[in-house]
Amino acid sequence: MVEEFKLPDVGEGVAEGELVSWLVEPGDTVTEDQPVAEVETDKALVEVPSPYNGTVAELLAEEGEMVPVGDVIITFNVDGETDDGGTDASSSADQTGEAAASGEETETPDSEAVETPEGRVFAPPRVRRLAREKGVDIATVEGSGPGGRITEGDVTAAAGAGEAVTESTTESAEATETAPAEDAGSSASSPSGQAPAPVESADRDRTLAAPATRKLAEEQGVDLNAVPATEQREGEAFVTPEAVMEYAEAQKRAQEADAAALASGETGPRETREPFKGVRRTIAKAMERSKYTAPHVTHHDEVDVTRLVETRERLKPMAEEQGIRLTYMPFIMKAVVAALKEFPEMNAMIDDENEEIVHRNYYNIGVAAATDAGLMVPVVEDADHKGMLQLSSETDELVTKARERTISPDELRGSTFTITNIGGIGGEYATPILNYPEAGILAVGEIKRKPRVVTDENGNESIEPRSVMTLSLSFDHRLIDGAEGARFTNKVMEYLENPELLLLE
Amino acid sequence: MVVGDISTGTDVLVIGAGPAGYVAAIRAGQLDLDVTLVEKEAYGGTCLNHGCIPSKALLTASDVAHQAGNAEEMGIYADPAVDLEGMVGWKDDIVSQLTGGVEKLCKANGVNLIEGTATFDGENTVRVSHGGEGQGSESIDFEHAIIATGSRPIEIPNFAYSDDPVLDSRQALALDSVPDSLVIVGAGYIGMELATVFAKLGTDVQVIEMLDDALPGFDRDLARPVKKRAKSLGIEFHFGYGASNWEPHGDGIRVEAEPAGDAAADGGQAVEEEALELDAEKVLVAVGREPVSDTLDLEAAGIETDDRGFITADDRARTNVEHIFAVGDVAGEPMLAHAGSNEGQVAAEVIAGEPAALDYQAMPAAVFTDPEIGTVGMTESEAEDAGFETVVGKFPFQASGRALTTGHTDGFVKIVADAEAGFVLGGHVVGPEASELIAELGLAIELGATLEDVASTVHAHPTLAESVMEAAENALGQAIHTLNR
Repeated sequence: MVEEFKLPDVGEGVAEGELVSWLVEPGDTVTEDQPVAEVETDKALVEVPSPYNGTVAELLAEEGEMVPVGDVIITFNVDGETDDGGTDASSSADQTGEAAASGEETETPDSEAVETPEGRVFAPPRVRRLAREKGVDIATVEGSGPGGRITEGDVTAAAGAGEAVTESTTESAEATETAPAEDAGSSASSPSGQAPAPVESADRDRTLAAPATRKLAEEQGVDLNAVPATEQREGEAFVTPEAVMEYAEAQKRAQEADAAALASGETGPRETREPFKGVRRTIAKAMERSKYTAPHVTHHDEVDVTRLVETRERLKPMAEEQGIRLTYMPFIMKAVVAALKEFPEMNAMIDDENEEIVHRNYYNIGVAAATDAGLMVPVVEDADHKGMLQLSSETDELVTKARERTISPDELRGSTFTITNIGGIGGEYATPILNYPEAGILAVGEIKRKPRVVTDENGNESIEPRSVMTLSLSFDHRLIDGAEGARFTNKVMEYLENPELLLLE
Repeated sequence: MVVGDISTGTDVLVIGAGPAGYVAAIRAGQLDLDVTLVEKEAYGGTCLNHGCIPSKALLTASDVAHQAGNAEEMGIYADPAVDLEGMVGWKDDIVSQLTGGVEKLCKANGVNLIEGTATFDGENTVRVSHGGEGQGSESIDFEHAIIATGSRPIEIPNFAYSDDPVLDSRQALALDSVPDSLVIVGAGYIGMELATVFAKLGTDVQVIEMLDDALPGFDRDLARPVKKRAKSLGIEFHFGYGASNWEPHGDGIRVEAEPAGDAAADGGQAVEEEALELDAEKVLVAVGREPVSDTLDLEAAGIETDDRGFITADDRARTNVEHIFAVGDVAGEPMLAHAGSNEGQVAAEVIAGEPAALDYQAMPAAVFTDPEIGTVGMTESEAEDAGFETVVGKFPFQASGRALTTGHTDGFVKIVADAEAGFVLGGHVVGPEASELIAELGLAIELGATLEDVASTVHAHPTLAESVMEAAENALGQAIHTLNR
């Protein structure tokens, strides 16, 4: 029997997810808990497991598609039913019937999914050729003919499905491809000498052309697969000598234009487009909501962390003995938690819907991490109950998981205050956007050696090189006043300047 | 390049005008490519000149002679006299008609024909030497090349084909008189076909084979009726022996053969431990064929071969050098003319940018012995090894009305199918016209036909082809003219 499978709620409050890739194909045998798809939701890439033992019957969403939670994305044949049920079962039943009637010792076919041994394809040569023409791997086509024989229609349908996917995923790319080819044509024939239109590479794997055309392309130093095709032959791009010359000339003009652009500092195509989706879109929506909901104020300061640097240097070898890489982050977290305890509004949030201020008596610290897929914020829960080494190893582990995209959605939610480290690349100060609906976010800069005026116990001043870190605290001005923001920052600074105070925490 | 040499250019250079090469050239010509075909000897290659066609011509002629002299059963009494020279002349006429046809077809399709021997000068150039000394040579630049140089008989130690009494298959087909006695080394399909020809012409034939049976590589079921018939024609077999030497003896020669060692006994007959000495007028060596790839200077173009010298090619007939293709015997098994022709067509179409590929479910093979063997697709055990649950149907020619009227009732049709969906997976025929009957089974496999499709197709009566239908019915348990299994 066929079982439907709906996109599950892969994390609390997720309304939709992008189906990034299918890990199975129709006909594949799957076992319970075997991952069948990768779905990207609210900052995390998660694997969706199969709830059944059986075979994959149909994939109902395409890769790249946004799927609302609760939509059926895949169907399974369970309890050993074959996926092409009706016809197959009845035709083999017929045969068995005939065989039985005539006393033939034909074994009853078992009810497991029928897979053609050794990749044998039951399709006439005409259909196999059509599959090659259309670039369809015939081994993946399900046959609708007698006994599962593959027909021309099956191949055409499979090709159509493939094209549909290609179209939807490369729509914009094609748009930029076709237009310049036309431009090239018009500019080549235009006597007015318009500015050269760049010709995008067609970038095919296969191009039909007469040998003389290939030779011409070689002479012109043109890759035939890059020449926009003006004709199609048997479903494949066919390039004429005229197209080669046109492309070569357009390339030449484009190169000249590039050279001029290079001289004026402009390189590459003027613009390219890509779909705005996935993690980037999720981040953008979150930023937008945060920025346009909570009025941001950012308070800047810098803190002398010379003693913190010394302390960490002292403690680092001891941590290493326990296999832990001690960074500054657990110190900062400790300092922040201590300050949050003194300024509870900074750990609170506004529940806009219910028009309430929610005070949180727990301290879950988000640590913003840059990953290849974009910004993610793993959350160290109950940071106030954890020691320095535990905070260090836990943060390290979560950030690694985020970068490798193995982090679960639950590990990315529930923070009450966020710390972001902006120092890795450069710069001094920033205006961090609140991890909405949190009330505060602290950006720490790189620890740099800077000259500082130091006063000794006798009141003598001198200029000394010191380790200095910048702080940028953004807060929700609806909830926090400027003075409170400054006081909170001062408290954080106090702990960072005097790390031994953290011992009391 | 030789100083003063002028090189000509071509889109597609085909080396060798056998059934793989000339088909490739004609197809390429049809696809509007500029084609040059280089042949060092005769259009049509081994198949037309020294293999399939002449041997089949002589098989037919010898069969006519044999049948005429052995038709008392039908009330015919005759004592035919064979003029081998005349028979060979008739065969030569057929060959010349065919090779002339190939030349005309090539020209009609715009193929430039050049006589000479081609060797590679680089990835895009060959040098073609015309004939012998002083005949000159020329360079040809090509965009694509198709190598179709074929194969030649393997020579074994001490049996040089240049020695008068030692014959290869080609020389045997050109004899001008029937030898009284002949030793044939090798009981493969070439050895067995020629053994049949000469036995029917009245020659005393003895066959030496290193393995333990005739027609190694074929299903034992299929080989058995052939061997039985050969024995009834007076052919004597010595299995488990390898020919080691020969020497002049009386008016003829004496061939020495040593026990091969590990070969088992044939039909309960113990393998003799001692060397054999067989007297005959001539010895024919037919132990297999090797590729003609050593004359091409393949290294100059960077083309790879396997350790036996066969050029390796993919399913588009492409060698490791992308613009150079290899087709036919030189590209390895199956060394069959029709496989070569198919490869030649594919290579030409791939060059023209068409989506061609060596994409077939079954390659037929035919052996023109008496009775003939035709086989296509999987044997029962191959199908089972491939994971199919099989069902088999058989029909003996003993039960065929048409077979009885031809006087040839040895053999059977066997059909192998997938038990579940009924798809035909293999067909095997030994018997009269097996080489023709196998075509229907090949078509069934290619079209994905089922047993029911074949059984439900009305076949004309009385024909041998009915046997194919009956075998399918037998597999379905509904045969009319035999008892169902």
